[in-house]
Amino acid sequence: MSANNLLARWTAPAKYRVMADSLALAVPLVVGLAAIGWRLSGIIAAVAATMIAAAIALFAARYRARRYDQAWLVHTLDRERPDMEDSANLLFADPALLGPLERLQQARLLGRIDRDSPDSLRPDWSRRLILLAGIMGLIAVGLALFWPRPGHGPPTLAPSTEALPATPGIPRLTAQNLRIIPPAYTGLPPRDSASLDARAPVGSRIEWTLRFDPQATVPAILPVGGAHITLRRDGPNWIASRPLDASFLYRVDPASGRGPTPPLHRVDAIADSPPQVRAISPAASLTMVQAGQRNWTPVFAATDDYGVAATARLRVTLAIGEGENVTFSEREIAVSGSGPPRDRRFSPRLDFGALGFSAGGDMVVQLIVRDMRQPAAQEVRGPSLILRWPSSRQPESSGLEGMVNITLPAYFRSQRQIIIDAEALLKQKRRLAADRYLARSASIGSDQRILRGRYSQFLGGEEEGEPEPPPNHGEQHSDDDGHDHDQGHDHDHDHDHDHDDGHDQGHDHGHDHGGAPRRPAPGFGAPEDVLADFGHAHDDSPASSLDPETRAILKKAVDEMWQSEVQLRQGHPDLALPFAYRALRFIKEVQQATRIFLSRVGPELPPIDPSRRMTGKREGLASRVLAISPVEGRDGPAAAAWRALGDGPGAIRGPIALDALDRWARGQSAHLPDPLALSGAIDAVRRDPACLPCRVKLRALLWTAMERPPAQPARRRPADAGGARYLGAIGGGKP
Amino acid sequence: MTAAWMTAILLGVAMIVAGVRLILWHRSASAPSPRRLIALLLLQPVCGILLFLTLFPPATTMSSGALRIATRGTSRLAAGPMVLLPEAPDIGAGEHVPDLATALRRHPGTSEIIVLGDGLPPRDMEAARGVAVRFEPRPLRQGISHVAPPTLVAPGSSFSLGGQLSALPRATVELLDPAGQVTDSVQADADGRFALTGTARAAGAVLFTLRVRDGRRTVEQANVPLLVADSPAPRLLILSAAPNAEVKYLRRWAADAGFAVTTQMSAGGGIALGDAPIAMDGATLRRFDAAIVDDRSWAARRGVLMDAARNGLGLILHPSGPIDASTRGQWQALGFGLTGKGGLVPLALPKPLAPTIARTRQGIGSDDRPADLALPDETLPEISRLGLTPEGQSAVPLLRDAGGVTLAAWRAVGSGRVALFTGIDSYALTLTGHRGLHGDWWSAMLAAVARPAPGMTPITTPGWAGERMILCGLTAPAEVERPDGRMANLLPVAGCGAFWPDQTGWHQLRRAGDGQATPFYVQAANALPVMRAARDRDAMLMLRPPASGDKAARGKSVPGSPWPFAIGWLLASALLWWLERARVGRAAAPQSAR
Repeated sequence: MSANNLLARWTAPAKYRVMADSLALAVPLVVGLAAIGWRLSGIIAAVAATMIAAAIALFAARYRARRYDQAWLVHTLDRERPDMEDSANLLFADPALLGPLERLQQARLLGRIDRDSPDSLRPDWSRRLILLAGIMGLIAVGLALFWPRPGHGPPTLAPSTEALPATPGIPRLTAQNLRIIPPAYTGLPPRDSASLDARAPVGSRIEWTLRFDPQATVPAILPVGGAHITLRRDGPNWIASRPLDASFLYRVDPASGRGPTPPLHRVDAIADSPPQVRAISPAASLTMVQAGQRNWTPVFAATDDYGVAATARLRVTLAIGEGENVTFSEREIAVSGSGPPRDRRFSPRLDFGALGFSAGGDMVVQLIVRDMRQPAAQEVRGPSLILRWPSSRQPESSGLEGMVNITLPAYFRSQRQIIIDAEALLKQKRRLAADRYLARSASIGSDQRILRGRYSQFLGGEEEGEPEPPPNHGEQHSDDDGHDHDQGHDHDHDHDHDHDDGHDQGHDHGHDHGGAPRRPAPGFGAPEDVLADFGHAHDDSPASSLDPETRAILKKAVDEMWQSEVQLRQGHPDLALPFAYRALRFIKEVQQATRIFLSRVGPELPPIDPSRRMTGKREGLASRVLAISPVEGRDGPAAAAWRALGDGPGAIRGPIALDALDRWARGQSAHLPDPLALSGAIDAVRRDPACLPCRVKLRALLWTAMERPPAQPARRRPADAGGARYLGAIGGGKP
Repeated sequence: MTAAWMTAILLGVAMIVAGVRLILWHRSASAPSPRRLIALLLLQPVCGILLFLTLFPPATTMSSGALRIATRGTSRLAAGPMVLLPEAPDIGAGEHVPDLATALRRHPGTSEIIVLGDGLPPRDMEAARGVAVRFEPRPLRQGISHVAPPTLVAPGSSFSLGGQLSALPRATVELLDPAGQVTDSVQADADGRFALTGTARAAGAVLFTLRVRDGRRTVEQANVPLLVADSPAPRLLILSAAPNAEVKYLRRWAADAGFAVTTQMSAGGGIALGDAPIAMDGATLRRFDAAIVDDRSWAARRGVLMDAARNGLGLILHPSGPIDASTRGQWQALGFGLTGKGGLVPLALPKPLAPTIARTRQGIGSDDRPADLALPDETLPEISRLGLTPEGQSAVPLLRDAGGVTLAAWRAVGSGRVALFTGIDSYALTLTGHRGLHGDWWSAMLAAVARPAPGMTPITTPGWAGERMILCGLTAPAEVERPDGRMANLLPVAGCGAFWPDQTGWHQLRRAGDGQATPFYVQAANALPVMRAARDRDAMLMLRPPASGDKAARGKSVPGSPWPFAIGWLLASALLWWLERARVGRAAAPQSAR
């Protein structure tokens, strides 16, 4: 048996005993601490206190156990075991280092040591300390459980602060307590107030516990301007209660008016504020759908003074469709929030597929939250967030830009189209047969003619009859003119769809344009005729809507187009190109001009002819008296009382008649900044007219309760004789 | 012939008579003693001369040095002979006197005094005017060195309160209204000057509070008395050449303010709108106190309007748009500069106040006009003015916009006044919550030009409890009612009476035959100490300092003390009496004489 084994065998029972002893000491204390922590700040504190105390206890136990080492064992064996003959130290000595005698003694000891079990060496339980710790733990638990909570059980009365003079035989308030029990939904604990003034949430229950000396017979609580509240006898105390629905002033009347008038007390009702909703993400109200996005998760935060209901509703409005063909659908989705009640987060996940949201649509979401107010919750709508899925077909456009796109630029694109077509034809010239080349050139020339016809309309009278559709419109623009060509088709389709509607609108309008609107040529560049279909031009021709300068430029453009058309028809697109380019440049100029020029609203009024003024019929016109009635000031009683309370002019040093002021204050309560404070101050002055601080306070409050009349001028004083002579002498300016 | 000469002749005659009598007596005496006779004859003139000198002591040329006067705040280390006034600290060495006049009487011949400490109190100013005063003013302590509250404020108007701080550059100055709310807060400039704004309510005596803060520390707090008094409502004529919004809101403002308004709007072709038509002549215009006239109405009636203005009518001219050259020439001829570019330019409006301060500036609302509606919008209305400014050599600037450009100016014409307002479409202010500014502008112009009206003359001198006040403008004995109701009688001398207030608060001066009392405020004895010190210091500096010629004029003769001569005369008379009566030297008592 090695020395280590021997040591472990002989110290282990003592170590185990001392650790068990430590834990037995610690457990009641830990339980007591946990109970106190639970009482003071809830279950989390209890757990934390348990963990920390247990850790400390374990550490202490290990520390205590560590003392039972070899030195302790040698010392204890020498002390307890006579047969060890004071040489227990030899048990743990290295035999190699010992002399023969010492080795002999070591052998003897090893032989002798097992005559007794190691259990005999373990220390005793510290029974008295364990008992003490147990008692302390029990006391702590008992205190934590049964220490009186504020707002529960019979209240502790505080001495009265009304400081009224004692009159023999007349009851007087001597002790008081005001218990405020807030509504359950607020989560606030009931509390006791030693003062009779309090602030409490609306809907709280207010309980008075009052004591009078000598014992009162019919005490009452008298709210100012309300029905009085009777008190109920409960042993030596009197009890009353009422729900708090609005702020009020009251006084405690112990002797039904026989004694001095007691001071006023004030209970303020704190209104429950509605919840606040704000959007956390996205920050902007308009968001675009990202490529590949399949769902959307907006995040809202809702805060409230007492708590937001855990579930809210999300109103989702979908706008599907484009142009005028938009359908709306609205639905509400229940959303549950996360986080503490006072600051909840709502992050609904909106799946596009499930909602039917597709490209070209808008999704508008709005969170509707409620708080937990009883009986009726307050509902608040949050900000609207818009998610837009842009249509893949149409470039983003808005407002005027879109309008301009539809009505005018069709022409301009078309002139460019002609140039593009002509250049493309020039490139293909070698590959094409001569007749085919000529035919295609003539086809482009036909396009050019249609375009020229359109512009000629604006010049008036130069139109060469109805433009015809190009004979080979479909096949021509197939390969290299992509987008613009599609555009043209789209316009055609729209036009066809809406055509009948256009007729109806035109007729409904009540203007007679002399028959049905002119049927525009379907085909290339047609959409510009929406004006003829939907609007009604008051001019005879579009020409009059242009100013002379623009007309001149347009005229040049048409001339160039004419030249271009001639060359194209003759199969010379290369010769036509310079004219086409010039035409395009002129059209660009017109485009710039027409975007600024609005002929219909431009005011170019004819000069006024003074000789024609006042020459019309004037029957029934005569001078008139326009009556005006001034707004009357309504703060007469307040101003009079304010002057009376001061020490300047109009001051009244004795008692002041405050009835008129009181009536006025009740009537104006909607406009006063703090009507209750004013009523209280009026009452204080009425109770004690000689109380100087009360008068000062009422006067200060009246300042905030007065109107500011319209500013009046302070008149200057007349000059005396010398001054008048001086003014007369200096005279004045002559106009 | 002076009294001295007559006395001298009388005394001379008496001496001669006495000498003759003595000689006669000596001759008739039984046992004449020539030595006694000689003594008596010599003593008689001595006695007479001494009596004369007692009555008319010889002038002495006292050569007294400058008198050192210790006043409040004199250093305890000041050494040397000095006179201690009651306010001086108890230095110990020195002569205690009740006032400066006593000190000068006790030290005749004093021609120069050296004042130590803060300076003489107002009590001693009169006495100090007779002597040259040498005084080194000490710098003032931190505090309010001057406050100038407006003398009289009309109900509902906004007022401006100027003042200066000493030794407190860039301190924060706050104005607290009577309810204790901060109604304005500014930072004083480097010299300590500041201007604060507040608004009045109904008529009465108001105490605002001025609070000076340096960082978080309140340096000084003082009551600012303000007298809000009703004035007779002006009778106002509004002339407009066309019905427009400006005249509509002017009429509304004037009617609400309680003026007697007559509006005449021409609608063309002889049609007039507004109030019942009046004849536009001198007699009619004499019934009005002020007229607000636009440029086109002015062009039509300027002769009769100017005649009325010379007779006291207040005229406010305002353009309804850009003015033409002839109107400009006429207005320039009135004395308004009208320099600058023509056309209209935007008018710079002051920034909206913070809501908390704006709320203290206005009263409660009503059903028709809720209080929050009167709060200014964040966005300012666009109001324009003429590009021409009405400043001129003979015109007094009256209103300025936030950019410092003069908006209105006035000048006297005969016994009336003419004002020119260059703002256009000021009504937009009333539509955007700036009703107060609109009212302030127009009432300031009305106050400047309207026909004068009799009324209360406020007392502007500040008073402190325990210090004599002088109330002037008294023609007959008057009374002062103290804050607690006690009355004090004033006996005016040369139109002014002295009053010793003993408590702080509003006092009222009641003149006989005047129904309306004049309130004035008396500050507490320890209020505004720096302002009081500054007042005394300024008064000290106005006293006559020693000039270079003072040394030559110093040896002036003053009557000497009669007392040594009186004692001499008494001794001489006693000796004379003894010589006449004594038995010493007489040989024997002449029995026969009995």
